[in-house]
Amino acid sequence: MTKSKIGTLEAIMLILSIVVTHTILSLPREVTVNTKSAAIINLIFVSILAIIISYIIVKLLKNFPGSDIIDISEVLGGKALKNIIGGIFIVYFLVTTSILLRNFSESLRIIHYPMTNIIFILFLFIIALCSANRLAFNASLKTNLLIIPFVLVSMVFLFFANMNKFIPERIFPIFGDGLISTFVLGIGNLSSFAGIAFLYFLPPYLKKPEKLKKIAVISTGISAIYLILCVSTLLFMFSFFITTNEITPLYNATRYIEFGSFFQRLESAFLLIWTLAFACYLSIVTKFCMSIFQKLTNIETKKPLIDIFGLLILAIALVPKDYSISSNFETEIYPYLVLGIVFFLSLSILILANLQKRKQKKSA
Amino acid sequence: MTHLTRNLIILIFIIVFIMAFSGSYLSLSIDNLAYVLAIGIDKADNDNLQVTFQFSTTTQATESGSSEKAPSVVNSVKSSSISSAINLLNGYMGKQLNLSHCKVIIFSEELALDGISEEVYTLINDTQIRPSANIVISKCPAKDYIEQTSPELENLISKYYEIFTNSSKYSGFTADSTIGKFFNNLICKMYQPTAILGGLTTKDLDSESNLDYHENNSIKSNNAPIQGENGAENIGMAAFYRDKIVGELTALESIAYLTLEDDINRFLISIPDPKNTGRYLDIYISPTKSPKVKIDTSTSSPFIQMELKFSGQIYSMSDNSEYLNTDILNEISENCNQYLETLFSNYLYKTSKEFKSDINGLGKYALKNFFRTEEFDNYDWHTNYRNAFFDVKVDTTVKSGMLITDT
Repeated sequence: MTKSKIGTLEAIMLILSIVVTHTILSLPREVTVNTKSAAIINLIFVSILAIIISYIIVKLLKNFPGSDIIDISEVLGGKALKNIIGGIFIVYFLVTTSILLRNFSESLRIIHYPMTNIIFILFLFIIALCSANRLAFNASLKTNLLIIPFVLVSMVFLFFANMNKFIPERIFPIFGDGLISTFVLGIGNLSSFAGIAFLYFLPPYLKKPEKLKKIAVISTGISAIYLILCVSTLLFMFSFFITTNEITPLYNATRYIEFGSFFQRLESAFLLIWTLAFACYLSIVTKFCMSIFQKLTNIETKKPLIDIFGLLILAIALVPKDYSISSNFETEIYPYLVLGIVFFLSLSILILANLQKRKQKKSA
Repeated sequence: MTHLTRNLIILIFIIVFIMAFSGSYLSLSIDNLAYVLAIGIDKADNDNLQVTFQFSTTTQATESGSSEKAPSVVNSVKSSSISSAINLLNGYMGKQLNLSHCKVIIFSEELALDGISEEVYTLINDTQIRPSANIVISKCPAKDYIEQTSPELENLISKYYEIFTNSSKYSGFTADSTIGKFFNNLICKMYQPTAILGGLTTKDLDSESNLDYHENNSIKSNNAPIQGENGAENIGMAAFYRDKIVGELTALESIAYLTLEDDINRFLISIPDPKNTGRYLDIYISPTKSPKVKIDTSTSSPFIQMELKFSGQIYSMSDNSEYLNTDILNEISENCNQYLETLFSNYLYKTSKEFKSDINGLGKYALKNFFRTEEFDNYDWHTNYRNAFFDVKVDTTVKSGMLITDT
């Protein structure tokens, strides 16, 4: 299982891929809606929390070298807990990825393929993820390593290209809906850092496990800067995202980029980069789902699982009757899933496992 | 799985996908599309709209290689909404209307008086409409504006629509008002929307002789002293409160608007010559700093203090001019200050008392006076802006003439 190892940079990009793909859709808008003009302050606050949490996770994982959250669950509660936690993570990854895929495909359909049935757009991504997973373990990680920097640079470009349309005064009133909304209720925006979920699974795969702390801090830090850039772009440019919902707010911002009459309509280039990033994200998530499944079932090879997981993602993506349901899931349910599973459940298991280990050490 | 079966499956997939995506590609095929360059929206009877579409046709190249002006096609439809007008015309033309190259959206003043939010929301919802498409409020029927638009120096009307707002940067007589900005301001709590004011050029220059262009630069579309082949003109701006037009800005007031928006490079003003009574000096004014605005919101009558800094270069020249003399330059600078202070004060009071509309979004400077959004909402900026008082301070440094400094 751990034959193929992940480099430090690959691991950082892996964590970033989750943040990046969610940011393309409704994430920045949700942050802005939740905290209004205090969105940037809230993100800075939440980013500090996220860095502290990821640091704690690394510290807690240190006591179980080479083990991921599944192994640690087994240590804590035996096979039963291992299966429960493994099952929860598989469902979490599959459901959130499928719904995200559905939302992204719906956006693509509205923008570029109005006459095409959604199933064909979804199928293109499924073919991509199945093909990528048939290649070597590191193939999609290396592709991700190439694509994610492009997305990050594109977002920096988006920020600076639109700067002349910014109204920086929109950062005021400084506390948005108030201190409680910004610093207490706003903690919910911690769900923006869903990429931390991969931290629980990385230790067995890392070429240099001692670099986990560096990976955690750098990836969370870059995610924070990236999120602040995206949210600032929306907050400073538009007044309407608080009252009006758009399918892909950042896509809307790309439509405003113009340099004279020659350099226009860059949104297609952005959409292309985002589509590639999305395909990478899908193949990576499927890869991790299969690895968890392999760990739970002890099957020898993952190859037969590729098509099954691909079709599962397709099937779940088709469950919502229309875009409103899948969009609602992303804005109303997804943040709670992240907070519950990534930040509460997994962290609790790590803490309990560490306490158990300490107890065992003391009694020994 | 044998090699043949695998290839067969791949082939089937390719065929299925070609069929699935061909619908979308066919709908975007250039042969099936009619590219709209401008949309004109007029009020029609029974709450209907008269929607006029201007299409481009291909340029006809002559044997000598020079190209003739590409004629444009104008079609009008009477319908209940823009979308049904598009639908009707799709059937009539046998092609699908594509708005991705639509550069201008013209609303008649009559329609703008009733409110245009429904039309703006519909257009902004369209994936094809660019947020950079300009909004023009026409003092004549929008259809007439489109029909009369005939650029003199451009063969392609689309090229004209692309660049006609560029002059706002150096003349300031109109603004680059786009549908994206209009929509943004329509929903904003601090801003009110604006649009370009359009109209038809005067056919007889003598009929406008009663205007004094030095003392009262009150020219705007439909009364500008311009005669030319292009029957349409864009001078001045239309001010809105929410989605309804509430007033018009003249060319000079448009300069004030653009200066406060920090969206103008330079503009020309005519001030009385301190040395020659009855004569005027033309001075190019360039803003040197962004406007500094302070707002006191302690009462329901906001007190707005504004500091503006400009540099100037004397453009007009006559004999006995001494534009290197510091005293003379200081005197001219002082005259400029007085002129500009009056201009900006009058403009601001006009927006506040007459239009009752904060088209410059001065409310954004008041935001920092509040800690919570709710406090700002309760202050009700748009209502209180009507009670606002202004104190404008202008600091102009007229540096010299241009090529000739003394005569």
